[in-house]
Amino acid sequence: MATKEQTLAAERRNKTILSVVLTIVCIIYCLPVVAVLINSFKANTYVKTETFALPTEQSFVGFDNFVKGMTFGNYPFANSVAYSVVITVLSVALILIFCSMAAWYIARVDSFFCKVVYFLCVFSMVVPFQMVMFTLSKTADTLKLNTPWTIPIVYLGFGAGLAIFMFVGFVKSIPIEIEEAAAIDGCGPVRTFFSVVLPMLKPTLISVGILEIMWVWNDYLLPVLVLDINDFRTIPIHIQYLKGSYGTVDLGATMALILLSIIPVIVFYLVCQKHIIKGVAAGAVKG
Amino acid sequence: MVTKNSVRTATRRWSPLFLGPVVAAFIIGFVWPFLQGIYLSFCNFKTTSNAEFIGLGNYAEAFADASFQHSFWYTAATAVVSLVLINVLAFLIAYMLTQSIKGSNIFRTVFFMPNLIGGIVLGYIWSMIFDGILAAYNTSILLNTTYGFWGLIILMCWQQIGYMMIIYIAGLQAVPEDMLEAAKIDGAGKWQTLIKVVIPNVMPAITICMFLSLTNGFKLFDPNLALTGGLPFIIQPDGSTINTTEMMALNIYNTFYTAGAASRGVAQAKAVLFFILVAGLGLSQLAYTRKREVQQ
Amino acid sequence: MSKNLSRRTFLGAAGAGMMAVGLAACSSGGGSGSASGSSAASGGAGDGKVYWLNFKPELDEAAQSLAAKYTEETGVPVKVVTAASGTYQQTLIAEMDKSEAPTLFIIGNAAGVKEWGDYAMDLKGTAIEAELTTDAYNLYDAAGKLVSMGYCYECYGIVANPDLIEKAGHKMDEIKDFESLKAVAEDIHARAGELGFDAFVATDMDDSSSWRVTGHLANLEYYYEEQDSGAFDENTSEITGKYLPNYKNIYDLMINNSLVEPTALATGGHDPSTQFTKGEAAFFLTGSWDYAALSEAQPNVQMIPYYCGVEGEDKAGLNCGTENCWAVNANAPEADQQATIDFMVWLVSNADASAALVEQLGILPYKNAAPSTNGFLNNAADYSDKGCYVMDWATNYQPNVDQYRAALVSALNAYNSDQSDANWDAVKTAFVDGWATQWAAANK
Repeated sequence: MATKEQTLAAERRNKTILSVVLTIVCIIYCLPVVAVLINSFKANTYVKTETFALPTEQSFVGFDNFVKGMTFGNYPFANSVAYSVVITVLSVALILIFCSMAAWYIARVDSFFCKVVYFLCVFSMVVPFQMVMFTLSKTADTLKLNTPWTIPIVYLGFGAGLAIFMFVGFVKSIPIEIEEAAAIDGCGPVRTFFSVVLPMLKPTLISVGILEIMWVWNDYLLPVLVLDINDFRTIPIHIQYLKGSYGTVDLGATMALILLSIIPVIVFYLVCQKHIIKGVAAGAVKG
Repeated sequence: MVTKNSVRTATRRWSPLFLGPVVAAFIIGFVWPFLQGIYLSFCNFKTTSNAEFIGLGNYAEAFADASFQHSFWYTAATAVVSLVLINVLAFLIAYMLTQSIKGSNIFRTVFFMPNLIGGIVLGYIWSMIFDGILAAYNTSILLNTTYGFWGLIILMCWQQIGYMMIIYIAGLQAVPEDMLEAAKIDGAGKWQTLIKVVIPNVMPAITICMFLSLTNGFKLFDPNLALTGGLPFIIQPDGSTINTTEMMALNIYNTFYTAGAASRGVAQAKAVLFFILVAGLGLSQLAYTRKREVQQ
Repeated sequence: MSKNLSRRTFLGAAGAGMMAVGLAACSSGGGSGSASGSSAASGGAGDGKVYWLNFKPELDEAAQSLAAKYTEETGVPVKVVTAASGTYQQTLIAEMDKSEAPTLFIIGNAAGVKEWGDYAMDLKGTAIEAELTTDAYNLYDAAGKLVSMGYCYECYGIVANPDLIEKAGHKMDEIKDFESLKAVAEDIHARAGELGFDAFVATDMDDSSSWRVTGHLANLEYYYEEQDSGAFDENTSEITGKYLPNYKNIYDLMINNSLVEPTALATGGHDPSTQFTKGEAAFFLTGSWDYAALSEAQPNVQMIPYYCGVEGEDKAGLNCGTENCWAVNANAPEADQQATIDFMVWLVSNADASAALVEQLGILPYKNAAPSTNGFLNNAADYSDKGCYVMDWATNYQPNVDQYRAALVSALNAYNSDQSDANWDAVKTAFVDGWATQWAAANK
């Protein structure tokens, strides 16, 4: 029979082994990003021939790839970044404001119409985008929703499902008495919602916001089909079109752009890590 | 006296403000395209305005399309293999991370990170890596179906393990402490505790993750497009092709946008079939979850 | 139809834009402007007016200022409207319905002739026809009416670097047909280590480059088939592949005498254009839109035809074509028609006007126009002058172009990794049977 000390020592040893194993897995996990990093400093031809080697004196080009990447592919990268930011910010803002309003109304009024809207929202969550992509791009084109300033309306429509589903779930858990008290104090529904309900929704707003940001920022197919891509490209579209750009593809510059597109995501992640992980867990359990 | 009903009536008057924007956008962004899509799947059309009703012809053609059949089996294989690998590995990592080891926060941060990178970008990162490796053997991921398949599986694992891990961690942390204590006192070993106590308790998380990775697998598009784009093809005797690494979503996309305007009806029919499949998976999850909740 | 042409149209647009940048510096306005300004004066006497519905957005600025200048010189009112990119057909349909319809518009291809041919007057025997240097870019209807005439064109072929070829101990004159091209290329490749450069750049098969072989190089097969069986059009439902062995000749030569091993071509990324400009290889498949970029680094570049071992190919020229063809509205009042033709003549013969157009368009196939500063287009004109045949762009009729070419790419990838007969048979299937299958799919 092992003594208590022996068991503890064995456990400590096991944990050390675990830590080592996890560290190794972790390093392997980071390698793809490291590969992007080292290749973004290499001259084009070396990306293919020496993919995993560190830049050498010959292959190292400093920040040339980043400079070149800015104008590479017949489209300024800065524009793509700007459009991605505009689309993501506007879309997520619209989704958060209007879906929380609608969800509160649905949860509180609970009429037949509300039930229909709610059912359709849940239903839309299981519809794959391919089902509507052709007709949606036509409709959006007809209604001139093909610019970065109007496409958020399409996102509001197509993204309403998850947001309303999550908001309704949360609103139902808030005791209605607080709102009734507000009504007694003379608050109309609009004021009640904005000054009483909305602040209470904050955790769900953050969760939904993060899920929607991750979706809109990385989305490729919807914007490529809806936007007028001669004028407007988001970052994923830009990167996809580098491959198809006529004449030449500079892999070094492509890697530099990929790195530039990953960096803000990683920074955002490190800053909001706690919320992101909570949001993901909440979204998964609900959805 | 303000009653619940009077609050409701007061709120109702504001329905255009509260519901209006979402309902309008929802009709534009979902309801109308969805209904029009169903209708068009029964039509021969080049543009949406000159559709001609032809009944089930598009569906017959979709079912007879060898490349669509291939994409179904390929998608199913990808979804099932990735489901098993992702969940086993994610659970394993989550289990290790909940053993109160040092640095578990850092590990968790790293494992989740790839999930934030978009599918197109993921495709290019891995395409560079696989080609860097395969070039040494004078081949490429675009030349060999087997490499294409496992390449995509590796990519999906890298992308999704962190996500599933988060859900598993939440599940594992919810396992009641006293049950674990009781198992220890009863002299249960690590394995016994895991199988008899831990796994039954995280069953809800396991169900969620299984369904999530299954539907993720079926709906996969961006990485498929960016990594292999369906290459290599089998050239059939009549000159048509079976794109060996093409999944259903990409097959539908290609039928819409590269097969020419005359194939759009068939593409829309394929899309409806795809919708029925994916929605079937989603609704069976809902039904399953409901049933379990009732049982509890 | 417009779908089939989209790729090349894109190239044309991008190319013209690039040329404009390259040429702006050196357009000294060659002195060939003759005294033909007089015809404008004679037209100015009438009360006709011109309405030009322009098709190329990048030409808009030059067209507007030329119109203003013409009005100032002759008093004839000229209105220029430029359709937004990709909306020309819509704009044309709308404008043709109006009482003040365009007098000068574009009919760019056979489909356009079918649709708009009735609205175009016969340009045969007009003053503008007399200015033409070649009939190669004219479009006729079934009855033989000259519906529209090309006012610029582009070309593609094999770009060669004479400096490197001389360094290897050969001369450009040596290359007259496939045999001589092969001899030079194989010699350079065999001595690549010693010379420091190779014969061909990488024939990359990724989306950024595969069109060089699946679109452009394939044109030689289609062109020679056309010589046997008549010109291709939208109704060409099948092809025979009779000249595929010739395509294979040059394809094999390219991939086996190159800087890069054939097995490494599938994912591309070798940047063939840079390989060429850096002088790493002597031959490269591209077109006239690349002239400015290539000649900047390799000033002596020349374009030679796709030599492929066909009989009589010492008379081969470059692959030339255009969608930029002028038509004059048949329903316009006679005075307007006359004013329009006078305006066209002025555009292509006035020294300053034609120089401004050449700067935007690359070349004007008219006798008194300013000379082109695009070396490849000049090569094309030289071949025509020597009596060589122009290879027209039959490749534009590839059915379901994206899918057809994707199958070819896949089949060529397999062939590149293993040059077996079985793999070439698959290329053949994709090339020949794929045409019929895709045509049937596009026309059901």
